[in-house]
Amino acid sequence: MIDRRLFTMPGIRKTLGMLAVLITLQAFSVLFQGKYLSMSIVTLWQQKPFVAILQTFGFFLVAFVCRHLLTVLKNYVVGQWVEKTITTLRSDVLKQVGALGPKIIQEKGTGNTVTLALEGIDKTQTYLMLVLIKMFDLMIIPWILLAYLFTVSWQEATFMLAIYPVVILFMIILGYAAQAKADKEYANFVRLSNHFVDALRGLPTLKQLGLSRKYANNIHRVSEDYRVSVLSTLKIAILSTFTLDFFTTLSIAIVAVFLGFSLIDGTKALLPALTMLVLAPEYFLPLRNFANDYHDTLDGKNALGDVLDLLSRPTLADDKTIKLDQWQADSQLLLENVTVGYQDSDNPALTIQHLALQGYQKVGIIGRSGSGKSTLLNLLGGFLAPTNQVGQKIMLDGQVVDHLQLQAWQKQFQYIPQTPYIFHATLAENVAFYAPDASETAIIEALAAAGLADFWQELPQGLATLIGEGGQAVSGGQAQRIALARAFLTPERRVLLFDEPTAHLDIETEMNIKKAIVPLFDNHLVLFATHRLHWVNQMDYILVVEDGKIVEQGTPKQLASQNGAFVQLVTDVNQLGGVK
Amino acid sequence: MQTIVKMFNTDKWVLPYLRRYKKLLTLVIFLGFMTVFCGTALMFVSGYLISRSAQHPSNILLVYVPIVLTRAFGIGRPVFRYAERLTSHNWVLRLVSDLRKKLYLKVEQRATTIRQEKQTGDILALLADDIQHIENLYLQTIFPVVIGWLLYVVFALFVGYFNWAFGLLMLLLFGIITILLPLVSVALNGARSFKNRQLQHEVYVNLTDGVLGLTDWVIAGRQAEFVEKQTTLMDQQVKIQSKDMQFTWWRDFVLNLIVAGITFVMLYFGESQFGNSYLNVNYIAAFTLAIFPTVDAFQSISAGLTEIPTHQASLERMNRYDDLEVEKPIAANVNREELLAFKEITFTDVSFHYPNQERDVLNQITLPIKRKQTYALLGPSGAGKSTMLQLLLGDLQPTQGQIKVDGHDLNTLTDYRHDLFGVLDQQPYLFNTSIMNNVRLGNLNATDDQVKAAIAAVGLTDLVENLPAGYETVMTEGGQRFSGGERQRFALARILLQDAPIIILDEPTVSLDPITENEVLTTIFTLLADKTIIWVTHHLTGINFADQVYFLDAGQFTMSGTPQDLYAHNQHFKQLLDLDTGVVNS
Repeated sequence: MIDRRLFTMPGIRKTLGMLAVLITLQAFSVLFQGKYLSMSIVTLWQQKPFVAILQTFGFFLVAFVCRHLLTVLKNYVVGQWVEKTITTLRSDVLKQVGALGPKIIQEKGTGNTVTLALEGIDKTQTYLMLVLIKMFDLMIIPWILLAYLFTVSWQEATFMLAIYPVVILFMIILGYAAQAKADKEYANFVRLSNHFVDALRGLPTLKQLGLSRKYANNIHRVSEDYRVSVLSTLKIAILSTFTLDFFTTLSIAIVAVFLGFSLIDGTKALLPALTMLVLAPEYFLPLRNFANDYHDTLDGKNALGDVLDLLSRPTLADDKTIKLDQWQADSQLLLENVTVGYQDSDNPALTIQHLALQGYQKVGIIGRSGSGKSTLLNLLGGFLAPTNQVGQKIMLDGQVVDHLQLQAWQKQFQYIPQTPYIFHATLAENVAFYAPDASETAIIEALAAAGLADFWQELPQGLATLIGEGGQAVSGGQAQRIALARAFLTPERRVLLFDEPTAHLDIETEMNIKKAIVPLFDNHLVLFATHRLHWVNQMDYILVVEDGKIVEQGTPKQLASQNGAFVQLVTDVNQLGGVK
Repeated sequence: MQTIVKMFNTDKWVLPYLRRYKKLLTLVIFLGFMTVFCGTALMFVSGYLISRSAQHPSNILLVYVPIVLTRAFGIGRPVFRYAERLTSHNWVLRLVSDLRKKLYLKVEQRATTIRQEKQTGDILALLADDIQHIENLYLQTIFPVVIGWLLYVVFALFVGYFNWAFGLLMLLLFGIITILLPLVSVALNGARSFKNRQLQHEVYVNLTDGVLGLTDWVIAGRQAEFVEKQTTLMDQQVKIQSKDMQFTWWRDFVLNLIVAGITFVMLYFGESQFGNSYLNVNYIAAFTLAIFPTVDAFQSISAGLTEIPTHQASLERMNRYDDLEVEKPIAANVNREELLAFKEITFTDVSFHYPNQERDVLNQITLPIKRKQTYALLGPSGAGKSTMLQLLLGDLQPTQGQIKVDGHDLNTLTDYRHDLFGVLDQQPYLFNTSIMNNVRLGNLNATDDQVKAAIAAVGLTDLVENLPAGYETVMTEGGQRFSGGERQRFALARILLQDAPIIILDEPTVSLDPITENEVLTTIFTLLADKTIIWVTHHLTGINFADQVYFLDAGQFTMSGTPQDLYAHNQHFKQLLDLDTGVVNS
């Protein structure tokens, strides 16, 4: 019901303290409201004139207004704390996402990350707003009222005290029964409720197969199955609300009838009886409110849990003491005994015995899909941390480091993936992403170097044209060239990481873009992962990756002359060959 | 406010359905009313009961009726509530079944246009969410509001039965709670909730943009900026939301002030109406106590009505799908067997441009497609490859020129489309059902043996039979448990069962690694050797399978011929092919 970590949040104790005071005051307002209302009614019942109740009604009015004013105050107190907490949580989540970097996106997916930061936080907000007030209401109000009711009439008060655990017990038992039933039906539910989305997503395929019209009846039928299944679960699931309703309403009825009997006997006067009757619903109200929002609260609790889990993930500390000079012709990166593992697997995703990169080498990383090429690139880019095993040695420019997630290192390189991301921003902002202060002339030169001179001049607003999602459409080839322009604009970043930059492009675009990429290689350390083998011609060193290991490394010439993994890979890729 | 009225006026998704299943709907309203009625009546009768008892009636039988009624209403309320919740869900879910079918059919009519849009799946999933919104519109808004208003009228009539002037006064006072406050609330909150929705959308777009580009933010060392950029908008949203909440708190407070006023009036009414009679004074407690449960029922009216703006976007989106008229093409009277044995499909001077756009996507294309030949189609994105395929499938009509199958205009052959064409595209969809059912979609009349034979032909028998559930294994989440190459093979098995004479391959291997690509292409072309194939591809792997190669750029063919001829005589083609095969210069 409550995540314990909730109580460690800053400012919570003060808020809860104030809340407890307000709720206690409110309990007394409720009490007096009931008492004076009953007194007013009794006075009129005694056939006294209307003016006789003006004073008691005035007291009622004060109590009544106080009660509702206190509700508003309670909301303000909690609301302010929630707003502050949510704002902090949200910016913590964003900071954490920034600190964890691309790794978290690869693991959770873009959609999930965005949902967590937005919906997750929204749900948390609702949860915090609901749970604190309702829980404290439940903890304070009924007991103050009950204490008073004992002074009014102990018999009925005892009954009301006794019924309380019975109601809760029944709710728990039925809750479990409903849960069991829901668990049993769960797989069915998921299948049936996803069926419609499945049909919509697969609609183009259905249409290609000529089945799309026929499928409509199928949708109706499955949806009806779903209805039957939902109803049969619902019959049990809402039993717990029924019990709550049943016991609380019936208790009021029973109390009324009891009171009636003792009044007839003459053992009780009307005023205490009426007070009892008026306060009985108030006694059960907090429990009902709490139970009504129970499911929302569960949802919110999970959301808060997810958010807190994300925040408690360890991040790699950026070692600020590492100072790196700009990568030079004689700079060196050395990796020995380095492994990278995945969380849910014992087998390392990548093992490196020995890898030494230096100066302005052009290093091709080749291998089949899933061989570990991308993992290697992610390790070198500092997006993945090594397992830090005994004997691991990573040397960067003569300094020993634990991992490569270092600002000082990341400032040295440009990363050009298969599909570079184009921000929803102007062309100029996109190109100058890595150098926000770049001059317009510099941007224009970079664009020209990347082969986009004609492109930008033909845009409706030139450099200021909005591109990216919702802006001017940019083809895959153009996106790739924009990434190249970014690299041309930051020549001080002397390391280039390419991850399969041309595999998705059509062959003519690929050939044209290659002409723009090759000049970029000068005076850069190039790490180029690809299975488009023509790139080998531009490389002077090749790493062949297979099953998470570097199985061969050397110059293209060396590798071509030995009958090893490289030769095998070339043969496999070119199975179908050219024209016969 | 006006937008909401307009929304309901033009609506074709909510109001028409109120008439359907009328009996069940009446039952829902009746049960809902009885629930709130019992709650009110319980306090009314209890108040009377104890007041009367306090007068020490000589005989217990004098209060017998109120005693029985108290118990009856006490049990009645939860029972009616339980029944109401079940029936209302039953009604709404029935409606959902109908709505789903209707929405599906609407979307189906424009399935081909949807296909062009990006992230098709997400747009469609959004539509599924919209139906959920309509479900909530009924359960949280329409039902509680109707039931609340019904109770309002009945309560005022009841008071009016004793004294019409007080009845009118109650009508007025309760009217503030049930009509005026909710309307003011919708009017004020509506604008805010509209603004909030806009912001919500901006925040979403902004954050997605940031997260998709996270790698760049990190490498550029601009994480702090990333956080700052997101939080400015989010903070604005938080402000609006908290204003919204504060409004609700104070609205409820005002509502309760009115309740205090009503209590006062009710006490006055009780005194003047019943105060002079020893027997009637008991009604004072009855009427006064009945106010509070009644007001409880009214509170859901405000809450329900303020929910409307959140459902508005969904309703609008769904109604947009309604405006679509699809013209039915004229069907030609042709012999199916003859048609399937066609000799040639010809594009003659075919041009195409989208309505409202000047630029020709295709510009006077002429292409004879001969039976059992394979045509490879290459070109940069936007060259017109997809448009050619859509014209061929009849999803688009040429703005100029003709496409004919043995002399029959393709326009007139819509009914034979699936007999003629089989399609294998980049990401064929695998449905959330068994492997057997998925493959059988190619031909619903295929026997189990035929399905298994098709799976064997594409080389998946070992894989499938080694799965714990074998052919009955369910393909969850679009077949994610299988690799890209395997998914293409399943789709190919489907095409084999469909057995159409023309196969369209729309970059079927684009997302596969080269070695898998080699294997899949070999399987495709071996199995489809006797078909007419139009193959859109982005590079030249397996080009030897094609009889003719066509390069398309800006809507026109720039290069064409047999691959062998082109390689021998065309320098550009030779360069491309050499690049593609990655000849390693030593």
